[in-house]
Amino acid sequence: MKRIGRTELPPAQEQALRKARLVEWLSLGYAAIAITLVGLVMGGSQAMRTAWIEDMLSTVPQLAFLIALAVIRRPPSQKHPYGYHRAMGIGHLVAGVALFAVGATLAFDAISGLASLEHPSIGTVRLFGTTIWLGWLMVGTMLLISAPPVILGIVKMRLAKQLHSKLLHADADMMRADWTTHAGSIVGVLGVGLGIWWLDGAAALFISAGIIWDGVKNTRASVLDLMDMRATTVDQSEPDPLIVRIEDTLRRLPWVRDAASRVRDEGHVFHVEAYVVPLRRKVKVEDVDRAVAQVTALDWRVQDVTIAVMGRLPSPEAERRDDDRSDDGAAAPE
Amino acid sequence: MVRSMRRLVGASGIAALALALAGCGLTVPSDPDGTLETVSGGVLAVGVTPNPPFTETDDADDEEPSGTEVTLVESFAASIDAELSWTVGSEEDLVRQLEEGDLDLVIGGITEQTPWAAHAAPTRAYAQALQPDGSTTGVVMLTPMGENAFLAALEQHLDEAAP
Repeated sequence: MKRIGRTELPPAQEQALRKARLVEWLSLGYAAIAITLVGLVMGGSQAMRTAWIEDMLSTVPQLAFLIALAVIRRPPSQKHPYGYHRAMGIGHLVAGVALFAVGATLAFDAISGLASLEHPSIGTVRLFGTTIWLGWLMVGTMLLISAPPVILGIVKMRLAKQLHSKLLHADADMMRADWTTHAGSIVGVLGVGLGIWWLDGAAALFISAGIIWDGVKNTRASVLDLMDMRATTVDQSEPDPLIVRIEDTLRRLPWVRDAASRVRDEGHVFHVEAYVVPLRRKVKVEDVDRAVAQVTALDWRVQDVTIAVMGRLPSPEAERRDDDRSDDGAAAPE
Repeated sequence: MVRSMRRLVGASGIAALALALAGCGLTVPSDPDGTLETVSGGVLAVGVTPNPPFTETDDADDEEPSGTEVTLVESFAASIDAELSWTVGSEEDLVRQLEEGDLDLVIGGITEQTPWAAHAAPTRAYAQALQPDGSTTGVVMLTPMGENAFLAALEQHLDEAAP
């Protein structure tokens, strides 16, 4: 558990990774219990069926994380010079597409059920010599299983931030919102109980809309990363502050006149391509080596740093740097 | 989190509306089309397909059907104070009438594996019966889709009355 690819993990991250793996296994255990229980009481409710499939789908990001974790820890090789970090992004993309496809199928089922005025049937069960309405068991089961995912989700969210893992972040986000699925199916079942037959289909539609939304979010997030969008914070809301720190570190070097960088997110670690314009025409090799070491030391996520010494900065990087400057309000040299 | 809060408000709104719509006569489960209420003290329209020993019908039209399931239905009808009206026909014909609301119940030694489950709500298996191929399968009756109070009442009666 000590390393991801090239990087030796700092103790805090190493511990977080260990915890993340444990929490993912716990989530899978929870899912197995929830799927079994809901499967036992499912009956003829479309909302329950949708919630049941949602419970199954929620394991996809967890499985993807655990499988990808085994892959990304391999060090880079001659054949795979960038390492195996993209496994996480691929797992994320697969999870997103799967969620979207199944969500869309379930939404179609719900709509066609509503359109054909299909009245859901929920009968009774014989338990301990009495006949009770299965709906009560459904409601009870849903109440019973609705709390653990919220707790697991909150724990995972903290770990995701520590580990800078987008996949774990997405998984945590889904789990935190999982109770809406359970609440929705309870509303559907109680609706059927009260004779409001369409409430079941409406609840199923609501739950499948949630699944579709999860699919869209996950697909979008993973595609942005796989398309080498500039590195962002774990929720992809803003550029990662590390980019500015890398450029500042380089610009502060006595032999550097100007610097810019391209930082891409490989899923949880960064690959940095930096460009520097030196003050004089001669540059010492040791200076460049030292600069690489300094940038690598900035953050554990910095994996691979290459510094190119150039006469002038390549255009998109130089432009972006100017934007940053004007954003910061700092005066540009020259 | 904000979105989920909004969802919660929406969900509880729907639940509140549901409770309001149900009004004072709150029973769970209940029938969207009120089958149990209509047949209690009224007429229970039963479709029957001959399938001895569960159901037997004579050629003479005025003859009442007989068989183990007919006996069960008679005792169920008595428990809810309903008169019986019998319709004899093929399963397909009877299930169609069930879907259209002309029948309240279809019997005829139908098993749990019935392909009509998408068109009607089968009861829980009230007994096990030997099939022609030597296997044992649960036998059920068919009720209209979604008439859950009626279904629950019938299942409860079958639990208590079935052998």
